[in-house]
Amino acid sequence: MLDEEVHNRRWLGVGRSSLADSGAAATEAVSEARIGPDPKLLIVFAAITHDTAAVLAGVAQAAPGVPVIGCTTHGEIGAGGPADGTVTVAAIGGAGLEIATCAAEHVSGRQADAGYEVAACIRDVAQPHRVLMLLTDGLVRDQESIVRGCYRALGAGTPLFGGAAADGWRMSGAYLFKDGQVLTDAVIGAAIASEAPIAVGVGHGYRTVGQPMIVTRAADGRVLTLDDRPALDVYLERLNAPPEAYTDPSAFTAFVLSRPLGVQRRSGVEARNLSTEVDLEGRSIGGGGAIDPGGLTWVMTGDEESILDAVDTVCQDTLDRLGGNEPIGMLTFSCAALRAVLGDDGIRRECERLQRWAGTMPFAGFYTYGEIARNHGIDGFHNQTLAVLALS
Amino acid sequence: MAGPAESLYIQQLVELLAVVSSSTEEASAVQNAVERSAQALEAEVAAAVIDGKVVASIGFPPRAVPHEEIVAMTRQQHAELHVPGLGGCPAVTASWAGSHPGHLVLARWGAPFQVEEQNLVRGMARVLELTLTMLRTLVAEHAIRESLQERQRLLEHLSAIQRAISHREDLQHILDTITDGARDLLGDEIGLLWVRDEPDSGRARLAAAAGTRPGDPADRPVVDLTAASPAGEAMVTDRVAVRHGQELQSRMLKLLGPSTVHASMAAPVHDSGVLTGALVVASCDTNRRYTPADEQTLSAFAENVSLALTDANTLVRMRQAHHDPLTGLASRGLFLEQLSQQLAIADADGRKLAVLFLDLDRFKDTNDSLGHAAGDQLLTLTAGRITAQLRAGDTASRFGGDEFAVMLARVDGPQDAATVARRIVTALAEPMRVAQHWLRVGVSVGVALSNTDGHEPAELVARADLAMYEAKHRGTGGYALYRETVPRD
Repeated sequence: MLDEEVHNRRWLGVGRSSLADSGAAATEAVSEARIGPDPKLLIVFAAITHDTAAVLAGVAQAAPGVPVIGCTTHGEIGAGGPADGTVTVAAIGGAGLEIATCAAEHVSGRQADAGYEVAACIRDVAQPHRVLMLLTDGLVRDQESIVRGCYRALGAGTPLFGGAAADGWRMSGAYLFKDGQVLTDAVIGAAIASEAPIAVGVGHGYRTVGQPMIVTRAADGRVLTLDDRPALDVYLERLNAPPEAYTDPSAFTAFVLSRPLGVQRRSGVEARNLSTEVDLEGRSIGGGGAIDPGGLTWVMTGDEESILDAVDTVCQDTLDRLGGNEPIGMLTFSCAALRAVLGDDGIRRECERLQRWAGTMPFAGFYTYGEIARNHGIDGFHNQTLAVLALS
Repeated sequence: MAGPAESLYIQQLVELLAVVSSSTEEASAVQNAVERSAQALEAEVAAAVIDGKVVASIGFPPRAVPHEEIVAMTRQQHAELHVPGLGGCPAVTASWAGSHPGHLVLARWGAPFQVEEQNLVRGMARVLELTLTMLRTLVAEHAIRESLQERQRLLEHLSAIQRAISHREDLQHILDTITDGARDLLGDEIGLLWVRDEPDSGRARLAAAAGTRPGDPADRPVVDLTAASPAGEAMVTDRVAVRHGQELQSRMLKLLGPSTVHASMAAPVHDSGVLTGALVVASCDTNRRYTPADEQTLSAFAENVSLALTDANTLVRMRQAHHDPLTGLASRGLFLEQLSQQLAIADADGRKLAVLFLDLDRFKDTNDSLGHAAGDQLLTLTAGRITAQLRAGDTASRFGGDEFAVMLARVDGPQDAATVARRIVTALAEPMRVAQHWLRVGVSVGVALSNTDGHEPAELVARADLAMYEAKHRGTGGYALYRETVPRD
């Protein structure tokens, strides 16, 4: 009986539909996700192949009046394994949870201000355990500044979690959902507050190779030279890249997708994805945030084993942060670039690992163009990682 | 990882310099410095306090900045700062001097600041001081010289120097740029930089000069650290020294000046916080009078010299820790570390790598008959010839004495590795010119390939070493491949 009461006070449910009709798929997924009373928020992950307006209409039909946030993906994560082409929905609700959402538009060029604006929704919740969840447009540059804007508004006391909307590698347009609206070049903030602890965790499964390289010239967020030579050539040479990676953009992308650039930080090496902003003419490298002159960088590699080990580490760390409270569900955001390393079988095994940690509790998420997770320090935008949010 | 701690700290200081030197006004320079220092130290909170007020901070919501608590930290009243949502956080503060002194305060949840990190925060406070001095020099220049062109020149000079430091250009080039820049900007004929040769030496040597009477560049003059010269005075008192009047100029300035020197000014220079030299300008104009704004300009240039020296020396120390000082090749430790990483990658990718172990033949004879200096020269030439045979991605290391090791990062099979071994044997068989003698040394090379069952880097080196003995056993100047049947003693 007590269990039942706790369950009704705070719950997380997940639904998924692979129906081809977008509206019907959304309705089916929402109905399946709604496992408790008093739904407070629906988080919708839709494949880029879906009709986004029809998805939102289907959601509204199944749960009229319930706040909705969501985005398009590069694959949806859930209890049945990874999927492409589905609508996957996480619903949270119960009297012990509180939600407030808001959105900022026209983000490009004013990333930090947009982050600062959406952080304001935290003022509308009162429960003691809080996190600000962010969904961003993965095609907007300088995502760090959005996160920095949130931090300037909230300070050290509020953890951050989220991900950047993806578009199935088309790189032409990713979309965000806020209630009935489909937005692009936008940021969505959702203040999630609970009477019980909420935890955030993040990590990657890459390791550094060889000696560090010093960033000797950088401009406009790109690394022009490493050790005083064109950055792109130095980087490829260190990795013994095949000849075509030096001249063919798609060969370059394919090669570096699984070999991020490591940037030295106090607590370890941060992985940066180099595959999206290719510059074979200028021989520079970049992507996933600015790297300043003087920075120490490394080439990095990873494989299925190291990446799956990171899944274990991140899940364990996140669940430990609940301080012994029973988890009720997880949101799991994994980097789209990891799909290139893991392959279809590998991401299936990644979901099996997540399932092992989740046990019987529901979990859902998507493959992102960037993950957001901050517990400590002032930064929170990541590449090539798994970010997990656990509710208790 | 090559010296992660030390190299990380200098990286963070240079990054901070790059970020704050791009600021064009004080408020954004201070805010950038605050956020950047928090980021570098993974601290949740950072603040700058000037004139007893918090002028910039990160980590608190805008209307909840605990001004009084932060200011109290600068008076060393507490070791912890209370941060809402986190509780008590260990804190560190560092002060800066100059015309507008202030404090940098950082607080981090759960992890007290190590001694090195406290040093880094002090370095960051100095970078902030330097930037503020620069920006204020610009303001002072604005008041005194109305010409927009003049201000632009100052900004360009200082930015060029800061870029050169950030981009780690050649140290002599940086010092020349600063010395010439100070002379040019102050409109004087002469610029000089004096640097102490040894930390406790009573004399300083000329490290850079601009506008002086032509002389032999190899004949670098020295001065004594006494109040007799403005440079000596600045290095003794740690303050700017100014001399007006022909009769007050030092003997050295009379020697170096293109004509009679009438005014001179010197500002102290530091290396890692220790007083180590002086930057001097001098004028042949009978009416030249240095103003307080001129003193600030020279001080800003001198601060740049300090940063350049500190950074260059740290880089030298860093490199020495990981490379053989004689040949410049990777040290044994660095080689084994890289081998370990490459083995992991090769295993994952299903490819092979090879280790070559090299021992020079007849090296001892050279050392004994021609002396250690000749031996050192021989080893340096050998290192050059070995690396000339390698591809990008391969690594050569001096293991000690006359032993070298080479890692071939990607080989197709034993024959591929044998080809490189053969090339090295041939290259080293050519005579070398050492101490007026033509010498032939020769080398024995052992080759071992990684295999799929995976083993430790030390084990692979030991196998190459065994094969090298096999090669030596067969006669000098050859190579041998490791096979399981190579007898173990």
